[in-house]
Amino acid sequence: MKRRTRQRGLRLAGALAATVAFCIPIYIAFVNAFKTTYQIFYNPLALPWPPTLDNIVTAFQRSDHLVQGGLTNSVIVTGATLILVIPLGSLTSLWVFRLPPKPKSILLGFFAFGLMVPPQVGLQPTIRLLQALGLHLTYPGLILVNVGGGYLAFAVFVYVGFLRTVSQDVIEAARVDGAGEWRIWWSVVMPLIRPATVTVGIFVGLWTWNDFLSPLLILGPLKGQTITVGMYLSMSTYSTDYGQMFGIMLLAAVIPVAGYLISQREFIYGLMSGASKG
Amino acid sequence: MKTFKAARWALFPAAAVGLALYSLWVIYPIIASAVTSLTNASPLKTSTDFVGLANYAQMQTDARLHRSFTFTLIVVIVSTIGSNVIGLAFALLLNGPGRSYKVMRMLAFIPQVLSGVVVAFIWRSILNQGGLLNTWLINLGVMDQAIPWIGTPNLATFSVCVVVTWVNTAFATVVYTASLQSVPEELVDAAIVDGAGWLSRFWNVTWPLIAPGTTISITLSLITSLKLYDVLAVLTGGGPANQTNSVAYYLIQVAFTGNRFGYGSAIGILLLAITAVTSFVSTGLLRRREAKL
Repeated sequence: MKRRTRQRGLRLAGALAATVAFCIPIYIAFVNAFKTTYQIFYNPLALPWPPTLDNIVTAFQRSDHLVQGGLTNSVIVTGATLILVIPLGSLTSLWVFRLPPKPKSILLGFFAFGLMVPPQVGLQPTIRLLQALGLHLTYPGLILVNVGGGYLAFAVFVYVGFLRTVSQDVIEAARVDGAGEWRIWWSVVMPLIRPATVTVGIFVGLWTWNDFLSPLLILGPLKGQTITVGMYLSMSTYSTDYGQMFGIMLLAAVIPVAGYLISQREFIYGLMSGASKG
Repeated sequence: MKTFKAARWALFPAAAVGLALYSLWVIYPIIASAVTSLTNASPLKTSTDFVGLANYAQMQTDARLHRSFTFTLIVVIVSTIGSNVIGLAFALLLNGPGRSYKVMRMLAFIPQVLSGVVVAFIWRSILNQGGLLNTWLINLGVMDQAIPWIGTPNLATFSVCVVVTWVNTAFATVVYTASLQSVPEELVDAAIVDGAGWLSRFWNVTWPLIAPGTTISITLSLITSLKLYDVLAVLTGGGPANQTNSVAYYLIQVAFTGNRFGYGSAIGILLLAITAVTSFVSTGLLRRREAKL
């Protein structure tokens, strides 16, 4: 018995040591956001004592409004992408799901292809197409590319995978009651497939927020960038001011990390279901 | 049956929009790239000529492209093996009961939630010549001269491998943890009763049962490191001396900075082909293993 408890203690100690080692870079980014550059270099691993909010305050006081502007733009782009991709994805999936087996598997294969295409491959023609449509360097252009270019394929996969687990009887019953197809989609199917919507929302939201190459090239370097790209553009020049850098990074990462911590259970669930279908 | 058909057409307009958007922003650009790869298109030229497979032939003598393939291959292999071995070991360690293990599992995934840009900035501040790791080691008196972690080709390649492995390990750990929790305890207990040691239990019971998790983790690690871009843009900028260019990074340089649309498209089509083959072979082989068990 005694040996068992000792084993347990050893295992916990090992797990703690591994977690601490693995998380050191995150710890460094977090604590150093609350230190002066002098404190950072004196000992990067020390706790921020006394803590300072200067890095955060100066990040907000920048004359280019990088943080306020970037956060606003990221919220707009992410929000608009989700508002389009969720109804479009669920409706397309519902339609594909009811097709006869052959066309259904052909269409699913067609969408599966999009999940694996490296985003760099079609970027050049994508931008020429945006230019032709007059949407280059605009938000609608970026949002359209987000929705069509890959995220919709992901949504279709998650939704079709989930629809397989939903009983068709409820939908049939609603139809017998005389409900129209759009009504059934909104009031019967959407509530049934809510976990799939949460998965799509979490992952597409995270990817859009963290996306780098598409916003960099589609919105262009000059105006109204997202926080992820804004951070990149400003910090390539500022890279010696470590305190400032960690402050901006903390502000860029706080929303996705907080979202993850809040929705952690759904996150892991979605990861397993989405990934196994993808 | 009639209602069913009617139902199909009712939602068709929405599905048509979905299909049209997907075709326009995923399928069309790939076809356009494939066509452009047969030309010498460039915004600097007034006319575009058909050049056949000349762009593909040119790849044979492009030393920078060869280096980008070697570099990508190194990162893909090192990070896939590294993140799966470390991730599985980490998951076995973290698969304990109670709250403290739960918190640790939660922390282990954070690198995946951060953007590649943030990840690379964190690591750049650590690995820079005048960065935190060198300062710390010099303060400790371990050494008196800074090590150029991202300043020489070999060290920079090594550093990129470390960073990509770190990010992919977070993913592998969560996938393996979730897989481990689906292993029925009765099976493990039965093996204990049979007198199986730790290693035998792992090899004969756990390892076969987490096969689906292995498929997901290995395949996604291969695909994500094949299209490596964001981390390089911040951490090394492809340098020093273009030695840490991935194929994806080199392709963007050729097409957007070098304005060589034709050649850039050809590299893109090749990258797409490699990614497709890799993911088919990987899922094919690993699924077959799943089926066998």
